Amino acid sequence: MTGARWRSGARDAALLTPALAVLALLFGGAIVGVTRVSLIPLGQNASLDAWRDLFGDPLFGDAVVFTLRTALISTTLAALVALGLALAAQRRGTLVRSLLALPVPVPHLLVATVAVVWLAPGGLADRILGGLPVTLVRDSGGLGIVLVYVYKEAPFLLLLVLAALGRGHQESDEAAAALGVTPLQRLRWVTWPTVRSPLVVGSIVVFAFALGAFEVPLAVGPSYPPTIAEYARQATQGDLISGQSTAAATLLLSAAGSIALAALAVRAARDPQGG
Amino acid sequence: MIPRRLALTAALTLVSAALAACGGSDSNSTPAGGSSTEGFSSKREAASGQTVRWWMYGGDAKVNAYVDDTVAPAARKLGVRIERVPVADTADAVQRVVAERRAGKTSDGSVDLIWINGENFASGKKAGLWLEDWATGLPNSRFVDPDDPAIRTDFQVPVDGQESPWQRAAFVFASDSDRTDTPPSDLDALLAYAEENPGRVTYPAPPDFTGSAFVRQVVAAKGEDAGFEYLKQLRPFLYRAGKTYPKSEAELSRLFGDGQVDFAMSYDPAFVNSGVRKGQFPRTARPFSLSDGALQNTSFVTIPANAANPEGAQVIADLLLSPQLQAAKADPASIGNPTVLDLGRLGDRRSLFSEAEDSPYVLAEYGRTLAELPADRVEELERRWMLEVLRQSP
Amino acid sequence: MAERLSRPAAGVLAALVAVPLLALVVRAFADEWRAPALVPQQFGLRGVEVAFSGSSGEAFGNSLVVALAAAALALLLAWPAARVLGERRLRHPAPVFLLLAMPLLVPSYAVGTGLTEWFIRLDLDGTLPALVAGHLTFVLPYVILVLLSGFGPRLTALEEVAQVNGLSPLRRMLWVTLPAAAPTVGAAALIGFLVSWSDYGTSLAVGGGRPMLPVVLLPFVGADPQVAATLALLFLAPAVAVLALAVRAGRMPL
Repeated sequence: MTGARWRSGARDAALLTPALAVLALLFGGAIVGVTRVSLIPLGQNASLDAWRDLFGDPLFGDAVVFTLRTALISTTLAALVALGLALAAQRRGTLVRSLLALPVPVPHLLVATVAVVWLAPGGLADRILGGLPVTLVRDSGGLGIVLVYVYKEAPFLLLLVLAALGRGHQESDEAAAALGVTPLQRLRWVTWPTVRSPLVVGSIVVFAFALGAFEVPLAVGPSYPPTIAEYARQATQGDLISGQSTAAATLLLSAAGSIALAALAVRAARDPQGG
Repeated sequence: MIPRRLALTAALTLVSAALAACGGSDSNSTPAGGSSTEGFSSKREAASGQTVRWWMYGGDAKVNAYVDDTVAPAARKLGVRIERVPVADTADAVQRVVAERRAGKTSDGSVDLIWINGENFASGKKAGLWLEDWATGLPNSRFVDPDDPAIRTDFQVPVDGQESPWQRAAFVFASDSDRTDTPPSDLDALLAYAEENPGRVTYPAPPDFTGSAFVRQVVAAKGEDAGFEYLKQLRPFLYRAGKTYPKSEAELSRLFGDGQVDFAMSYDPAFVNSGVRKGQFPRTARPFSLSDGALQNTSFVTIPANAANPEGAQVIADLLLSPQLQAAKADPASIGNPTVLDLGRLGDRRSLFSEAEDSPYVLAEYGRTLAELPADRVEELERRWMLEVLRQSP
Repeated sequence: MAERLSRPAAGVLAALVAVPLLALVVRAFADEWRAPALVPQQFGLRGVEVAFSGSSGEAFGNSLVVALAAAALALLLAWPAARVLGERRLRHPAPVFLLLAMPLLVPSYAVGTGLTEWFIRLDLDGTLPALVAGHLTFVLPYVILVLLSGFGPRLTALEEVAQVNGLSPLRRMLWVTLPAAAPTVGAAALIGFLVSWSDYGTSLAVGGGRPMLPVVLLPFVGADPQVAATLALLFLAPAVAVLALAVRAGRMPL
């Protein structure tokens, strides 16, 4: 028995190796490269200057708080919307599902641009309605950022959730309903276990993206505070050479945050595949 | 006004005829400084058959068209092919050279020529990224005034023959003659206008290139502390009460075009021409400058020290300075950017420039020149703006 | 009752999601479209003229080749890994999951910057294989994550039944495994393709000037909205086509 287990364990390791090896090489190489840039600006010696400047900068502190807040709100809302849409759409045909998934192939920058076309002062919504009651673009609370992320990420999460629901969930759900289980209980005991893991994994990916990307805040975010990624970008605009080190340090920090969060979530779940 | 296409065809015919006749540049007189024409001839020979990868900002359709339709054919006659590499920001091109330098690639680089501005050039020069001692050796550089500070220095950093001039830059504003009868004549009048029309004036936030230039313009006209006082006085009357600013010149242009604010601004003197062409500005848009003076500058092309085709790049840089191509560039139907050449040095070629169309979208002159600030002060000012003007709640 | 409500609701929602994107189509063909006009002041083809001058055709081709190659390679590498993870054969899956997810948690600008120097040293920079490798760094994790949801006890049971009934491994693969996993393979291929197709940061850094569509498109965003919208449509065409293909072929889990 032990021999067979060991052999199957070795076989599993062998199956995993190609993917893991490629990732370790490429991704590992990338991280090493970025760390070097953060520590060694071109033409200078290794130093922690970039890191020291970063932690001492009040602008960076404000950026971190703002980014964490918008990323958290965006992700939570996107997950809730995705879940709701999935339940509403699971019995619907492919046309409805395809339309709901339409934002997925559209890159964030384009979605943000479209948002500006519609929601900015002087935009289409303004022209149709004669004026928007609430500021959605460049508002200090980051509402515009949240809106664009939800519009873009909820369909992505929707795809993951629908894949998990598959064809079996509907039957289980209807069977439970026939047995008199209330909708809320069905949500908790039938639906949630099925969607929990892809939703959580997907949400972590969405959160990490919102933490580290600059295109959406660039288009619809307020001037102050900037997001972490915008802060990095401004650093390179200010001083091309040593700004690169600041930007690299900023991005590594944001990545570390995301990885820590993922590790926590994985630990809490204990079984990363749910159940 | 001559229809666009006709003017462009005229310009092209002019260029082709001139080039066919002269073979690219005069070989009669020796160029100012540097090597003789024989030296450059050998460079031309080496350049023949090369493909020059020219990294330049790719978002300006008319400049792209000028390079693709006017410069490239002229270059082909010299046996040089131009591969235009569009980037969103010149800094991306510099980052590429930096990356190659970090990796120890000292030759055969993938960037041959960069259309570059002050801060980026200064950072690169400090890091030793650029090819040295070539710009003054170009035959057509004799048409340029070497003592003009806008040619000799770039953001007060000495050019030292590491970049060759190409386009004129001047800080210019735009107003809509339908909305604003008389645009403000100076900065104080601008403040008064903002007080009378709250929410109708704004500028891009530094470190955006244009926003940074506006702040520098204020500082150059009033002095640093008085300038920041002015900006703080202006703040409450700005669009969105100065709590948030456009993040780019493009965004300010959109706000202006959509009638949300009354003025736009740019370091590109032809931006009103361009804006109307793109349909972004109404046809009633007009450029204006302030009497306190305008920041004026030159944008250049530079060659990385590790370029794979430096000879081809130099041939292109020389071509860009030829009177024929500079005249074509000055035509509002093409770009509408004034020439960097010294008209006094052109002799009878000067007539090429009087043929340029008069256009309501291009200013004839920009008023008093304000000297640009040193490149290292730029970052300080940007940071000071972010801390004092932006971060402080109104 | 909830179903009666959800039927029109889902349709309305779907329309709400798709309609904003139609603004791009109008913008692409509007030479002038300024407030307060609802309809463009002037329609025209300037956007098309500018969009197709320069290197956009080459950029389209490069991006397409890289995205297809990255997605295909990722599927090959991901398949065995997804089997192991999907069938829950690991005792301690957490660290593996974390390693797999890490490239997705790091901003893509970092991947591009970090890899460029290595590729330059190896004289690979600017080559298509280098671009595929750079993209693979984040395409592979996405593909694995999507693919593994297609494997599990149900599929294993089906395969065992087939094995018991005497089907050869090849036939099992062709007739049982692939058809059963087809929806997730389709979804994984789609996501992999889209992620590579849309990438800007790594394409710029590793590409070393080789035209790629997002890199050609970005300068126009903001600066020239009409041309940006036209390029955006050019950009979206294959993406939406791939989406439609996947849906049509019934390979989506939708």
